[in-house]
Amino acid sequence: MSVINVQDITKVYNKDKVPVYALNGINLEINLGEFTAIVGPSGSGKTTLLNIIGGLDAPSSGKVFIENTDMFALKERKLIDFRLHHIGFVFQAYNLIPVLTALENVSFILQMQGLPTSECKERGLTLLHEVGLDDKVHKRPSELSGGQQQRVAVARALASKPNFVLADEPTANLDSKSASDLLDLMYELNQKEEITFIFSTHDQRVVERAKRVVTLVDGLVDSDVFK
Amino acid sequence: MKYSPIISLSWKNIWRNKTRSLVVIVAVILGTGAGVFMSAFMYGMSMQMVSNELENFTSHIQIHSKDYKDEVLPANFISNTDSLIQELSKLPFVKSVTARSVITGLASTSSSSYGVSIRGIDIETEREVTELSNFIKEGEFLENQRSNSIVIGEKLAQRLSLEIRSKVVLNFQDVENNLSAAAFRVSGIYKSSNSRYDESNVFIKKEQLNTLINADGISHEIAILVDDFKMADIYRDSLKLEAGLIAESWGDISPSLRYTDSMVGTMLYIVMVIILIALTFGIINTMLMAVLERQQELGMLMAVGVNKSKTFSMILIETFMLAIVGAPIGIFVAWLGILGMRETGINVSAWADGFEAYGIGTIIYPELQPEYYLNVGILIFITTLIAALYPSYKALKLNPVEAIRKI
Repeated sequence: MSVINVQDITKVYNKDKVPVYALNGINLEINLGEFTAIVGPSGSGKTTLLNIIGGLDAPSSGKVFIENTDMFALKERKLIDFRLHHIGFVFQAYNLIPVLTALENVSFILQMQGLPTSECKERGLTLLHEVGLDDKVHKRPSELSGGQQQRVAVARALASKPNFVLADEPTANLDSKSASDLLDLMYELNQKEEITFIFSTHDQRVVERAKRVVTLVDGLVDSDVFK
Repeated sequence: MKYSPIISLSWKNIWRNKTRSLVVIVAVILGTGAGVFMSAFMYGMSMQMVSNELENFTSHIQIHSKDYKDEVLPANFISNTDSLIQELSKLPFVKSVTARSVITGLASTSSSSYGVSIRGIDIETEREVTELSNFIKEGEFLENQRSNSIVIGEKLAQRLSLEIRSKVVLNFQDVENNLSAAAFRVSGIYKSSNSRYDESNVFIKKEQLNTLINADGISHEIAILVDDFKMADIYRDSLKLEAGLIAESWGDISPSLRYTDSMVGTMLYIVMVIILIALTFGIINTMLMAVLERQQELGMLMAVGVNKSKTFSMILIETFMLAIVGAPIGIFVAWLGILGMRETGINVSAWADGFEAYGIGTIIYPELQPEYYLNVGILIFITTLIAALYPSYKALKLNPVEAIRKI
């Protein structure tokens, strides 16, 4: 079942009035439960593609369907709401809110959706248990290691039960052990709960664990390998 | 409620940098506190000036002959004084009333002379209308039986080198415009809160002055105190006077006093607004720093689906929280100060000469009308809203894709 359907996406930036093609006609279909890595050299368009799939950046042309919803046909307010309910994000720098505890960081997204506090707390605790942070629920980000913070970020991404999780260089700031543990965790969630993960990465360890590797070169899909 | 996590997060955010937030809160406390207290000082001072002027000198309503208003001559008098006073005394809003004979003349000694207003007064009724008898610094207030007693101001005494029992000659015109003169002995020296008044007004008994100007039973001025000086214009219009007489309220007699009374409220708000504008810039600076150093976090919130109205609200609420913590404390501290000094007053005797020139005493009693506190609260609300707009706008303008990657 197709979760994401990218149709002939281009993205053109005008740098000093000279058009620069970051994406040059990308077609991509990602199905439920995939564990996909988007790789390529710097400037190949990985992050731009991920931002467009996540609705953070609009394409110059082309369409992105998320389970039959034409994402960029939505008005801005609807698009923001769509992200809140349907897409999970994991960022390279974790981007947790420093004044909130791990539990509050995870349940914040659910509170934004208007769920009752007790339900938010319950789901937050369940997710932190799943990512192995039962004993850190009341710790603030500054009291957690990088790996632990990224686990909280993964739990936050899963909070709203999204259609898929976009992870932009999730292991880039982590040491080998933490990166490996995080990949194990995400792989396990993918296997057990059929959560779709899409990574933009340079990290060979991520590529090795991915079930599908899409390679971009100069804004085009150079190869698309299913393992 | 979807906004409750935003409110909770805003509260935590303002304590993210405790020192910075405390500096702003203390600035708000000092700004509002000092502003409110200063307003109370100014209001108290203005009210004292108005009240002094009315109760010591002008009274609330005065009646004169129309001709006297055109030209201050002894011949332009009110003839039927007694019956008019009787009628006025019956009016429900009249607290007290007195009649005076008032002419201009020259006070002379062997060494010097000075132009003065010679005021013939009825001691008993004058006491009920003005506070003049309480200002006697030396001697007595015309209580003795001697007909040639005169009470002069301290400033005039200094100018003419007069003391108690000194002789002074008054030169004036009588009702037939004949020049006349009479010698008096200083029986009392007064010192009011208005040194200009002290310099140019002398008091003798009304019967004595009337005899000297050859016009028994007349007066030139009837002064009335009413139950509420703010109603003086309405009471003035309700008076039914015979032709040839004119009634004026204190505002008609002293337009500058009316101007002071009406302007003081506006002035207080202008002072407060200036203070709040200064505070606004401090708050804008702090909130702008808070937004700029949290770009990554704000970008993340926008990316994961926190909409613009919630992002805007978060910055707005944080700004309000800074003001809401400080402003009530500032207002409360000022209120305590006003309460504490309302009875004892603030001694400004170091600047007595300057204050007295404007008819203000050396003790200022700060006071404020209750609605001022409410209005200051509304002003703080408005200025905080204005202060919040620019930082909130900056937050809204962030591009989540770029903001997430800011270090």
